[in-house]
This record gives sequence, structure tokens and C-alpha cells, in this order.
Amino acid sequence: MLIDSNAYIGHWPFLQLKYNNFPALSERMQEFGTDISVVSSLNGIFYKNTQFANEELSEEIRSKKAYQSRFIPFAVINPIYNGWREDFETSVNKLGMKGIRLHPIYHGYELDNPACIELVKMARDRDIPVALSLRMVDSRPSSWLDVEKEWTLANVMPIVRAVPDAKYMIVNLANSLVLDEKDTALLKKSKVIMDTSGRNLLDLGSLLKTFGTDKFCFGTHSPVLDYCTGLLRIESLRNDEANEQTKEMLRSGNLRSFLNL
Amino acid sequence: MFKFNRRTFVGTTAASAAGILLGNTLSGFTDKEDSETAAAPIKKVDLMAEVRKYRKIDSHAHFGLAGATNASNLSYADRLGIDKLVISKPMAPGSPGLPEEFRACNDAIIGAVKAHPDRFMGQLTLNPTYKKESMEEIKRCTDLGFTGMKLYNHVKINDPLFYPIIEKFIDLKLIILMHSPIGKARIKYNAREPKNISIPEDFVDIAKRYPEAMFQFAHTAGGIDWEDACKALQHSPNVYVDLSGSNNIANMVEFALRYIGEDRLFFGCDNSFYQGVGHIISAKMTEAQRKKIFFDNYNNILRKAGKNVD
Repeated sequence: MLIDSNAYIGHWPFLQLKYNNFPALSERMQEFGTDISVVSSLNGIFYKNTQFANEELSEEIRSKKAYQSRFIPFAVINPIYNGWREDFETSVNKLGMKGIRLHPIYHGYELDNPACIELVKMARDRDIPVALSLRMVDSRPSSWLDVEKEWTLANVMPIVRAVPDAKYMIVNLANSLVLDEKDTALLKKSKVIMDTSGRNLLDLGSLLKTFGTDKFCFGTHSPVLDYCTGLLRIESLRNDEANEQTKEMLRSGNLRSFLNL
Repeated sequence: MFKFNRRTFVGTTAASAAGILLGNTLSGFTDKEDSETAAAPIKKVDLMAEVRKYRKIDSHAHFGLAGATNASNLSYADRLGIDKLVISKPMAPGSPGLPEEFRACNDAIIGAVKAHPDRFMGQLTLNPTYKKESMEEIKRCTDLGFTGMKLYNHVKINDPLFYPIIEKFIDLKLIILMHSPIGKARIKYNAREPKNISIPEDFVDIAKRYPEAMFQFAHTAGGIDWEDACKALQHSPNVYVDLSGSNNIANMVEFALRYIGEDRLFFGCDNSFYQGVGHIISAKMTEAQRKKIFFDNYNNILRKAGKNVD
């Protein structure tokens, strides 16, 4: 079984995207053998009121029975925008969202913001995963209207330190993964899972040894990144790096455990 | 809202293991309502079989940069079914670019190719500011079988200093691979780029001056505004474009196909091996186009000098 932990629908204002709606994403999934995708709305990054994006996502998934067994929706919540507590509750209780996506770089707050910490604690208390992306696009060729800031893995650690018992999905590991000894130990014992879409996964075999085979899962970051590279990093692992059982955990097993599927 | 369909899961994984395309009977959707409205079964895809189906020449690889060794290059190449790597070691950006420096870089490539002549093809580097030494270096390296030249940013590609070098390469029927910059997204190129970086417009200029020469525009995925670059280069038939680099943003390959065309695109990794292979496999194109990009286009360039692979 193959589960993509990191897909989107919606628009990016500075770039024409393809496969960014449910029919097209479904086609991609068929093509590459993906059974299920965790999906959130790109529009939630750009709408001031992110809840409209969550509602759009939910409505689209509800529109077709097939989508309900193929897509796991995550809500975009902005904890410094009024009404976010209600947005969280509505998303989880009424819209069927199974996780939340935070976009602090785009929404203009730091991970140690008290409201962010409160939101993550709310998610923890409901066993809801919190997803963070080290970057959405490569800032080098991105639009002059886009943000320039990108994160390293170390930039995520303040929230893991603040709420160490929450569940975190860290996706698009595009930049440095270097952590000090203390943070490495914290990440290893925390409920953290990282996807395989990011460019800095140069040597997944070694990373499995450093962080543990349970810490990684397949992710595409599609339709922003190409659909294939994240999977290629798993499928091209040698037997001495990952046996078939480990590969199956990377394809879906780790994420199924993480999401209680 | 999400409904984990255990019947779908059981059906698909069991059938996948057997390599069978599922029919409705096996899918688990037995009742009428489900068969009409539920998700179609997913067939497991053998990605590595698809990857290995294509012969590949990596048109842009390095040795001795960012920790790249013969062993690491071959490890990635073997993993991803890359038959040949065209390797170079250009001088460090901002270095004095003295003859002893480019000779040392080329010596490193000579050693790497000598160790694995069946896998590596060498590209030389030079600094046209030192004309005599550069011409001598071209002779030394091409006598040893080098198949092209890779340059960084010591001198712009359309600087008159390059004219005699380009004319020599026309005679040799070899391609010239020139680095390209990061950025432009914020109207200007990245601040760290030196003044002599070759921008797409410089390639257009020199390609027009020397229509018989063959130029390779480096790494659309290397951090440049690839849309802007492809549009600049669309009417320069003797500028080939390699798709290497770490930025595997979706649709770059399709965009390059539209503006550059299927005959002027090269597969390359610039040592970002997964992205280099992945975004070509991912791109929507015909099998014939993928074959051209992975192998045939570059092999046709090599053929002009009788250095083709087959």
C-alpha cells in the first residue's frame, strides 16, 4: 500500500500548477500506485480567512464517495487570526479533518508564539497531528512577491520543545537537517514523522539510521514538486539500507500507525 | 469524513503483490452502489522497472565538488540506472582562475575517467583570460578523450576572450557547458552572483554569433527562474538545455518541452540524482520523448565528434 503524506489541491498565485484538483490528483495517484493521499489546501496559505479553504476542501471531498476513501484532509489553521479556536473545532468535529497544517512563514508568526503553542496543545489533546513544511517552494526562483524565508529542521524544534508530546509531520525537508545532540534525542523520542519529498534527503539510508526507520514516510509535496522523486528515494534504497519490510513501512506503514488508520 | 476502506486496502495490496490489475471482482466493491461510486482500485507500480527502462547519460555531473567522489557518483548512478556520467571539476567561483588551477581541476577528471572509462566521460575547464595555456589545455585533454568543456563564471560566455576557444570547439565538434545563475525571481540575480556570471541573454548572444557552435545551458533546476530562462532561449537552436539541479518543481520539464523542444533537452543531475531522474519520470511526455531526453539527444551531440556511446 502507498500513502502520500504530503499533497495539496488549490492554487499557487505565482506559478501555474497542474494536478492541483481532485480529479487530476486522483489521476496522478492511479499513475504512480498511490492508494491514499493526505491533502490540504494551498488556498489556505493565501486566504486571510483560512477556514474558507478548509470548507472548500471538505466540500470537494464530500462531493464524491471515491474521494472519501482516497483522501485524508488536513485543515489549515492560522492561530493569530481571530476565530481560530472555532475554526479548529469546526474542522475537526464537522469537516472531518484528520490533522492541521500550520504555515507560520506565510501567516507571519513564530512557532513559539503563545497562540501557536495553545493550538498545538489543543491538537495534542485530540490526538490531531500538526504538519509543518520547511518551505513551500524554492525561494531562489520564486516570485518577487513570495516570501524569501525558508526553514531548516532546527527551526521546527522550538515547538517540539514547547509541546513535546504532540504529533508532528515535518515535510519538504529542503534544507539542513543538522540538529544538536539534545534536539536529535528529542526528535527521536517524539511523535515526529518526516516525508521524503525534500531535496535534502540526499542519503535516506543514513537518515534511517540517524533518526530511526519509523521516522520517515512517503510524501510528494505535489503538485508543487514532481510526483515521483519522493517515491524514488524509497524505491531505490538498497537491501542493506532498507529491507522490503522497512520499505513497506516507508510506503505506508509508518504513516498508518502515525495517523491511527 | 475520511473512510479507510479496508476492503480496498486488502484487495489492492493482495492483488498488487501478484502484479495483477484489479477487476471489480477482486477489488472488494461487490455491491452495486460501491462499484459505481467508490474509488477505483489502485495498481501497484514498479517504479524502479520504469526508471531502469531508459538508458541514461547524465549530461551534467561533477567530481571533486561538494564531496562527490567516484564511489559516490557510481553509487547513485547504479542505484538509478544511469549508464554514463559526463563529469567535470570547474574552478571555484571567485578563484583567481590561474592556469595551474584549471590544470589541477582537469587532472582530477583525468584520474576519475581513467579509473572508470566505461562510466565517466570527462569535460575540461579553462580560463580564456589565459589564451595560450587554455589552448594547450584543450589539446592535452581532448587528446585524452575529453568530450566537452564545463565553465563557471570567471568570464562571460559571450566575452570576446572566449571567441578563439569557441572557434576551437567548433572545429572539434564538442559542446560547451556553461554555468547559469541563481535567482532573477526578485527582478535581479542573487546578490552572491559575480558580475561575470553568464545569463540566458548572454547565451542567446553568443549562440547567434556562432551558430555552428554547441552550447549547453546549465541546470534549469539549479535555482534560476527556469521559466524566464527557457523563454529567453527558445529561439536559439544551438543552445541545448540541461534539466539538472535540486529544484524538482513540478512542470519544469513540461515547460521546457514547450519552449525548448524535445530535441534540445538533456537529462542531467548536477549531482542532485533523485531529482534529476525523478522529474523526468514524473513529467507528462511520450516514451519517445523521454528516451530522447535521457539518452539520445546527448548521444547525438557526442556522435558529431565520433564519441557517441553506441
